[in-house]
Amino acid sequence: MFRQKIGLMVVASFGFIQMATAQTDTTNTEVEEEEDYSMYDNLDFVDEGVKRYAPAKIKGISPAKLITVGYDWQGKYDMTAAGYTTNEGTFAEQTATVNSTQGLRLEANIPVISKNSLIVQVGARLWDINYDFDDPTSLTNPLLTTLHNNNLASMGLNSTIFKPLSEKSFLLVQVSADMNGDYEFTDPQNFKYTKYSVAALWGKRPTDNKQWALGLSRTYRGGDLNYLPVFLFNWTSPTSKWGTEILFPARGHVRYTVNPRNLLFFGYEAEGYSFRIGNQGQARPDEDFDDLEIRRSEVRIRFVYERQIKGFLWLSAQAGYRYNYSFNVDQLPDGEDFYRGFTGDQEFIQENELTNPLYFNVSINLVSP
Amino acid sequence: MKKVISTGLLLLAMVVSGALTAQDDAKADQLIGIWEPSHGKAKVKVEKIGEKYYGKIVWLKEPMDPETKAAKVDKNNPDEKMQNKPLRGYRILKDFQYTDDNEWTEGTIYDPENGNTYSCIIKMTDENTLDIRGYIGVSVLGRTDVWKRLKMPSKKK
Repeated sequence: MFRQKIGLMVVASFGFIQMATAQTDTTNTEVEEEEDYSMYDNLDFVDEGVKRYAPAKIKGISPAKLITVGYDWQGKYDMTAAGYTTNEGTFAEQTATVNSTQGLRLEANIPVISKNSLIVQVGARLWDINYDFDDPTSLTNPLLTTLHNNNLASMGLNSTIFKPLSEKSFLLVQVSADMNGDYEFTDPQNFKYTKYSVAALWGKRPTDNKQWALGLSRTYRGGDLNYLPVFLFNWTSPTSKWGTEILFPARGHVRYTVNPRNLLFFGYEAEGYSFRIGNQGQARPDEDFDDLEIRRSEVRIRFVYERQIKGFLWLSAQAGYRYNYSFNVDQLPDGEDFYRGFTGDQEFIQENELTNPLYFNVSINLVSP
Repeated sequence: MKKVISTGLLLLAMVVSGALTAQDDAKADQLIGIWEPSHGKAKVKVEKIGEKYYGKIVWLKEPMDPETKAAKVDKNNPDEKMQNKPLRGYRILKDFQYTDDNEWTEGTIYDPENGNTYSCIIKMTDENTLDIRGYIGVSVLGRTDVWKRLKMPSKKK
């Protein structure tokens, strides 16, 4: 199965590598003889009432990724799964060493409408998350055995809508539907377990070098459902050397531009989803515990290096520290998700602990015009 | 008599053919003019050279480089020989040919902000509006920008 997946992913990536490198980026653009350019200083539009719109990007921002083929790897760490009691007995707390957590990541984001007055982008994402335990025969806690037997999978569809309202202001809406759990991609879980996230922001783009926006989100970045304010701040210095790319609380980076084909970043990304444990007939402790979800959230503090390989093909390499924010397990009453927020008193079935390893992620990307 | 008729028909065919060609040329030449991209940071003059259409930057909102305090040059060009060329006067649209249905194809567009050249299709949606679609490999992997026509400058005496 794993080989099949790799085969498909390699074939897909080969296709877009060919397409990206087939495109030339060499420029033999010529400069014509000097003319009096001052005559172009004050020209009006032929049409009356032409409306200008705020562009979606600012000067110097990193290129948007259309297609990504990546590999994510976390180093050795310890996972302590909490003990708990069911009608069938008590399962003891257990600490196990995970040699690595790793998997392929495929992503695509394609603009379906791309006009000055509206940009609509549609995307898809597919992540494989494999747990390699140091001594799998010793595992007794159901959380550990199910991770060992089934691993985790995550896939989703998303859309980003950018609607400029004027030359200086805009609306930004992001929606996503994600299916996360211990299923196989060839046998996904029921669609009723799909998780929906949305963020809506209103913002300003006062100059070509700066845009900011404020909004609200319904998100699983913290592992479980939450409603959080969102703040976007993209900025590039006048010399284009320094900048920020921030969508708080999801991610925030400081950018250093060596040149437009070599970019360095330092910052963080909060990565979180709620993974349904179907157990697939294995390691189920009790039917009373039939709607379990791992509220998985981690913060990745990292350096990122992005560089053009050839044409529109870019390499992205991340290295950093993976900080576990949540790996707790909830039981969903009647299978329905609920809101706990920062102040709710609903108890977790398991409050688990993970130590924090180094991680890296490397990807090949086809970038947007 | 037959000779006169056939000569007449031939002349008529030539006239009709000539008229149609002139009509096509007139349609194709609608691209000629001064255009402003949506970001408003530049003006681009489209000209016809031979049978193809080219567009060069004739105006920049910020003509000076804040780092060097000199006129902006094409410093992001991957070709080092081009990196000292001034941006004003630069041909960013190249090799467009009129195909049909108010469309110009086979050309490229250059983005001085990142030094990349993209395949490009120009579609005239009305006589004063262009949809400029830059793309990579296939048209679906691209972005469209709307350009508006500017009035021609009056000749200085």
